[in-house]
Formats: sequence, structure tokens, C-alpha cells
Amino acid sequence: MSTPTSSPTQGSHTTRILTIATHAFTQLVRMKVFYFLAIFAVIAIASNFFELPQHAGPESVGANVLRSIKSWSLGAMTLFSVVLSIVATALLLPKDVEDRTLYTILAKPVPRFDYLAGKLLGVLMLVFVSLLAMDLLMTAVLQIRTSMVIAQQEEMVKALGWPPDAVASLLSETRAQGPNWSLQGAVFAVFLRASIMASLALLISTFSTSTLFTTIVSFLIYFIGHFQADARDVYLNAGQAGEGLFARLASLVFSLVLPDFQLFNVIDAVIEGQAMPLVTLGKLTLVGAYYAVFFTIASWFIFSDKEF
Amino acid sequence: MSIWRKSTILLAALLAFGGLRLPFENSLSKELRAAGLFPPKMEIGTRERIGQTSSAVALGGLRTLVATFLNLRAFTFFTEQRWADVADTFNTIVDLAPRTRYYWETGSWHQAYNAASYYLNDSELPPLRRREAWRSSIYNGRAFLERGIRNNPDDWSLYANLGFLLSDSNKFPAYKDPNACFAAAAEAYGRAAATGKALGYVKRAQFYSLARVAGREKEALALARSLYAEGAQNRTPTLLILLLVLEAWENPDLDTGKRALELFESPEKAHESLSGHWMRTRERFPVHGVARALEALEKQLNISADKSVFNQPPPPPFNPEDMFRPK
Repeated sequence: MSTPTSSPTQGSHTTRILTIATHAFTQLVRMKVFYFLAIFAVIAIASNFFELPQHAGPESVGANVLRSIKSWSLGAMTLFSVVLSIVATALLLPKDVEDRTLYTILAKPVPRFDYLAGKLLGVLMLVFVSLLAMDLLMTAVLQIRTSMVIAQQEEMVKALGWPPDAVASLLSETRAQGPNWSLQGAVFAVFLRASIMASLALLISTFSTSTLFTTIVSFLIYFIGHFQADARDVYLNAGQAGEGLFARLASLVFSLVLPDFQLFNVIDAVIEGQAMPLVTLGKLTLVGAYYAVFFTIASWFIFSDKEF
Repeated sequence: MSIWRKSTILLAALLAFGGLRLPFENSLSKELRAAGLFPPKMEIGTRERIGQTSSAVALGGLRTLVATFLNLRAFTFFTEQRWADVADTFNTIVDLAPRTRYYWETGSWHQAYNAASYYLNDSELPPLRRREAWRSSIYNGRAFLERGIRNNPDDWSLYANLGFLLSDSNKFPAYKDPNACFAAAAEAYGRAAATGKALGYVKRAQFYSLARVAGREKEALALARSLYAEGAQNRTPTLLILLLVLEAWENPDLDTGKRALELFESPEKAHESLSGHWMRTRERFPVHGVARALEALEKQLNISADKSVFNQPPPPPFNPEDMFRPK
């Protein structure tokens, strides 16, 4: 009777990736990264209770208070998610090397791609769960505050004897600043941006020599990525302003190599009260997935025959 | 595989991948900008004004957060009556959050109303400088709103605010040609109404401004008739009076006393409304046929000469030159 031999193809890729992802997620949770959620909770709840000074009368103040809550909350979400995705990813490989877990895993029939994809998925799960928790808190705070603002406005318009069309318009403008699907879309856009950063940090960590290097370079790319669209415009509109060959080439390389993070600034428009169509979110998801898949494959390409 | 070979392949793949996504990202950017979902690029001037740290935060995708902080800073400047700083801060705020109506309206209000009122009473400045500061604050408030309109052409409220500013009896005297002001106010209200989202008062406000434009009485009368026909919600005392006035302009032989009774249903109501209109000199509303109507009504109501509106002193018209005369 022959015994089945272990091979890298044994078991499904999905199962392996999920196992590694769950392990990475647990590993990160044990690092007590969720503590930052307490800070977010303080920001979200405080933004609801603080009566910040306002310039105008109660009719426009209500909507501005809601806009401030969204602005604080989504700002904090962006910050936390980007920091979390970069730092958590930058930590994973060096920590596995340090703990010697990496040798144990790679000695088993685990393809290196599965290992990397699993690690990335673990980080993404962590970012997703964190964002979900923050989103729930923000939505709850916003819902409560919207109800309070609407109640105050109803009382005010009743006292002032506003006509029904003016009342309806005011209340509908206030409701537009409350929780809605576009706001959930904006939170998802925050997740997509963090996903790109996590996959990029994974790529950097495959050839980097330290966690610090990965973190610093990732943050630099994050900030420079917000200029990518400017470089692209310089390249595409070159000639009109009389740019030289070097400027054209530099802007081309810049825009080909770096991700365009400005696309995700639609979040600002949502905070300002614009509605985000589903098709826009779909296109942003496509962009996010495109980067994440490419950077993961590139990471595997570097990592595939790396010696430890 | 050597590290150099790997790096070369990776770089080539990166460039090829970039080449594939470039057209898509470019078209998506244009699409988002056209849909108003994409803020305009942050100008170098804005980056300098908000400082390096805030600039980094804003560039990191948190523009509205920086705008929120700056709004708090602007409030401090407002309480300290540092009007130039208030204006500068709001210029930066709207660069960061150009789609937020609140910032445009508040920035304009601070300049055209608060700063202008401050200069009316600032005893430390000589009269000539006070007058110029008052005038330029109103001009700046208007320019700020007009910039807001260019950034948000679908926002009815910004148009309505512009109309309100230009037809305000404390503001239009800052302009040499009040007729042009009323025409611009009527146009602003008209554009607000044309968005289809404006409140009911906006069309009436358009008419109130148009009725004051010398040379466009026919147009104003047509608008008055159409508003009147729309129903009771538009039949405000001002609209009824101006309808009467414009009908008297169209037909100088009109029996305005009789027409006033038709419009107001009772001589008391007609007399009260028309007396008020007669005294509203600051708004520069036309008064064709009002005197005749009042004479007829006073006769009908047996109002004594000492109580006659013609024997009451009318409030002086607002004249900025009086406000800035050396004391």
C-alpha cells in the first residue's frame, strides 16, 4: 500500500490562505492593536458632546455639526487604517523570522504565494474589523446627533413659523448630512486605500532589511501617491506649458510607478454631503483590487526564492 | 535568479502595469471631477497658507478635516474682530472644501455683514478710510459668494444669498448704481429659482428686486401677474402693493384706490399696507399711484389730517456719506 506523499498542491489554496490569514489576524490581535479603537471611541463620542463654536445661526449650524462629526471620524479612520495596514504588514515577515515561525511554515508544503496572500489577508481582516467597529460607532453617534439636530430644528421652525417648503428643505438638507449609504461607501473607500497600502508594504517588506525601513518607505509612498495625479497631468498635458524632455520622462515614470491615491479623496466629497454613486464605488474597488493583486504577485515574485 | 535580474523584471512589470492603469485612472479622475466628487487641486498658495503639517494632512486625503480645524480658527479671529485673518482663513477653507455651502455663506457673511458693520462704527479710523473699508468689505463678501457660485453652480442657496446681499438696503448703497445692483439681485434670485430646488420665497424675492429696476417695469409686471395667479401663497402685502404700483405705471389713469380695495379686500388693510410702503423709502421701491390710492383710502376711512401718512415724517434714506461724515 502506498502512502500519499505531501506535495505543495495538497489541500486547496483557499484553505491554506485562510488558515494563515486567521493565524496572522490572531497574532495581530494579540499585539493589542485594537486598543486604538478606544481612542477612536473617545474622538467620536467627544465630537458629539463638544459644542464647538459656530459662526452662523441654528438653521445652518445643525448640518455643520454633523459634517464635523463625519470629518473627525473619517479622518481618524483614514489615519488609523493607513497606520495599521502599513505597520502591521511591516511587522509580519520580520516577526515570523524572529520567532522562527517562517522556517516552520516554509518547511511544510505551503507555497510561498499562499503564505504571503494569507498574511496580507490577515492584515486586511484586521483593518476591515477595525473599520467596521469604527463605522458602527460613527454611524450610531451620527444617528443620535442627527435626531437631536432635527428635533432642535423642528422646534426652531415651529417657533419662527416657517412655511412647509422651507421646513422640508431644511430637514432634508440636515438628513443628507446624517448616516447614509454614501457614507458607508466612503468608509469602504478608506478600506480600499488601506488595502493598497498593506499590499504595497508587503512588497517592500519582501526585500527590505528592517521593519522601520518598510514603514518609512510605505508612508513616503503614501504621501507621494497623492501627487501622482499631478505628475500624470504634467505628462499628459506636456507640451502645452513647454516642459522639457526630462520633465516629461520624470513625470511619466512617477505616474507609472506610484499608485494614485487622490482617487480616494471622494471621501471628502461625501463628508461635504455629496452622494457617491454605486458605479463610482465599483470603479474604485476595481482600482484597489488591481493594485492589491499586482503588489501581491510582485511580492511573491521577490519572495519566491528568497533565502532565509 | 539574480537580484538584479529580478529587480529589472519587477521594474518592467511595474511600468507595464502603470501603463495599463494610466488611461483608466485618468478617465476616472475626469469622471469624478465632472461629477463634483473630486475636489479641485490644492493650489500652492493654499499649501503655503495652511503650513507644512496641515498641508501634509490635507494631501494625505483629509482636506475636510483640515477645513474643520480652520473653521474653528476662523471663529477665534471673528471673536477678535481680525477681519483680514477671517477672510484669509475662509479663502483657505473653501480651497480645501469647495463644495460646502456653509463655508461660502459664512465667509461671505463675515465680510459683507460683520466686517462692514464693524467699519461703520470703528472710531479709530478716519472717516474716509472707514468708508472705503466698509465698501470693500461688502465688495469682498459679494466676490466671495460669486466665487462660491462658480464652484457650486447648482446651489440655489448661494444664488439666493447673493440676491439678498445685493437687494439689502444696508448694502446696495455701497454701489454707485443701485439699478445695476437690483438687476443683479433679480438675476441671482432668478438663477436660484431656475435650479428647481429653491424655496417658494425666492421667486417673490426675484420679483421684489426686478420691480426696483428702472426700465424693466414691463417684465416685472408680467412676473407679478404670474406669481399672483399662482395662488394665495404668493399674495404677500409687498407683492400686492408692487402689482398695484406696476399696474399704475402701465396705466397712469388707473383708479388705484379702487384697485387697492380689490387687491386687499378691505380699506383698512389696504391703507395699512400702502402706508407702510410709502414709508419704506430706504428700499427704493417704486411708488407709482400709491399717493393717489392713499388719498382715496384716507378719504374713505375718514382719517384726519394729523394722522395722515403724508403728514408723518418719512425715515431718511440711507446714505453712506452721512455715516462717514467727520464727527
